Amino acid sequence: MAKVKGTSFVHRHAASLAVVPVMLIALVFYFGSAVWSMVMSMTASKIFPDMTFVGMKQYIRLFSDALWALSLSNLGWYALGSLGSLVLGFFLAVMLESNLAGERFFKTVFLYPMAVSLIITGLVWQWLFNPSMGLQQFFRDLGLQDFDFNLVGKKETVMWALVIASIWQSTGFYMVLSSAGIKGIDSEVWAASRIDGISKLRMYIEVIIPMMKFTFLTSFVLLSIGAVKAYDIIVAMTNGGPGGHSELPSYYIVDMYVNRQNIGMGAAGSTILLALVLGFILLFAAINLLSKKKE
Amino acid sequence: MKIDPSIRSQMILPNRVPSKNPVSKTVFYLLLSVFAVLFAMPLYVMIVTSLKSMDEIRMGHIFALPITPSFDAWDMAWNKAASGFDNAGLKSGFWNSVIILIPSLAMSVAFSSVCGYALACWNVKMGNFLLMALLVCAFIPFQVIMYPLIKMSVAVKLYNTSFGVSVVHTVLALPILTMIFKNYFASIPEELIKASRVDGGRFWGTFVYVVLPLSPNIMIVVAIMQITGIWNDFLVGLTFGNVKAYPMTVNLNNITQTQTGVRVYNVYMAAAMLTAIPPLLIYFFSGKMFIRGITAGALKG
Repeated sequence: MAKVKGTSFVHRHAASLAVVPVMLIALVFYFGSAVWSMVMSMTASKIFPDMTFVGMKQYIRLFSDALWALSLSNLGWYALGSLGSLVLGFFLAVMLESNLAGERFFKTVFLYPMAVSLIITGLVWQWLFNPSMGLQQFFRDLGLQDFDFNLVGKKETVMWALVIASIWQSTGFYMVLSSAGIKGIDSEVWAASRIDGISKLRMYIEVIIPMMKFTFLTSFVLLSIGAVKAYDIIVAMTNGGPGGHSELPSYYIVDMYVNRQNIGMGAAGSTILLALVLGFILLFAAINLLSKKKE
Repeated sequence: MKIDPSIRSQMILPNRVPSKNPVSKTVFYLLLSVFAVLFAMPLYVMIVTSLKSMDEIRMGHIFALPITPSFDAWDMAWNKAASGFDNAGLKSGFWNSVIILIPSLAMSVAFSSVCGYALACWNVKMGNFLLMALLVCAFIPFQVIMYPLIKMSVAVKLYNTSFGVSVVHTVLALPILTMIFKNYFASIPEELIKASRVDGGRFWGTFVYVVLPLSPNIMIVVAIMQITGIWNDFLVGLTFGNVKAYPMTVNLNNITQTQTGVRVYNVYMAAAMLTAIPPLLIYFFSGKMFIRGITAGALKG
């Protein structure tokens, strides 16, 4: 760059200096913290950091804790169940993208749960699932005497309750992503289908859904990472209960650090969480690369 | 496939294929209405429950309108509800949330917009490397960095203060916001930036006189994203705040989990409504901007 009159070092390097704060934050607070967790997970730390190296001992202890194993399997079910919001969101988008009047009204209704805190989501669904005053009672009053909807209170069904609440919360988001995907499809594709007289259903199954596979894969990755991060909704709805049957790894880790004050195991758990998320990011990067190649 | 333009205009516009079949249209409306009712139901239940007395709630008609609607539960929730620490209701949490929100909004927008501008419009060494790093940071779960951040904030005496909560929110928002700003600023025509440089405008001058005047929309989108995100946060406020600095969501959760005596669902629902109203108002009045925010946050990687 040509030297401008009176330029000081600060002026000449203004752009490079401007990124320094963010770069430092990424380096120290994110990468530094992540590395710290990895290091701590291999030490004997308990209430206080203790730099005695113990190898993989913390991980062995972690995986022999039945509660951690349970939280991992809960995470699997939670992620699988949350796929419901992707499926439902896509169907809502398909219906709304067929030129119906009132599209905006419906979108507003389906999306408002996104604007509300997950603490509120958890609280209101806990209330709806209240066995003596909530939905169960409502259906019993209608004459269904044996109607059983006490999902939160039983260990076999508590994850269902969380899944239902999370589908209510996030369906609108996946509807918006699907809508964008459908809108992104070239209008000539639709025109061609009309000339050839292909039915809309066949069109969706054979052309549109395959064309939208990157939208779906992206949604899937976001949904999985969302499940790994889920925390607030458990606190507000179940607090991990009954008996840990609605604990997720994210909840287990905070509990380990804050209540059980075990830094070593908390760090080991976070390292596993980090590995999970990095796996999904790699998947995401691979998808991005593939989709760019296709363009 | 080439189509004659005259036919094309008749056939393709509007972009989407109108559903000619009245049966499928009716079915769609029916299904959409059913789902709309299901999705609206929790909000409806929250509102009616908050207007009832506990005696009425115990009758078990969760969908019934209140017989004698009253705002007593709202008054209780705002002014008097017990949170385990005091009996001062939600109002202190509301003000804490405001005090947390303002600096974190200002700091996160300032740092990320400047960094995004530098990355988009200037040659920054290792700029692409930084973007890759930020993409990874954006996905790292808070639990992974939580404990070290607590230690650091204790060291600089920000732990258990509302400003400390603001700083953590800023840190958490920077990766995604920087990427959003970078993507937006990259779409500004290069000629404008070059012209400004020829006129002697340097880094800050170009930013203030050329880039910022072109960016009110993205600023609004980011502001909506940040306001709703920070308002709705729970975990950061819980782990970095304290009794004097807990945001409204933590306050709400404390009120509902205070296990002394009966569970007063009318007060809980009123408290939930009070906490939900600010982001809901923003949502209903901002419409498309809100949608742009959540999709930009999700997809511009």
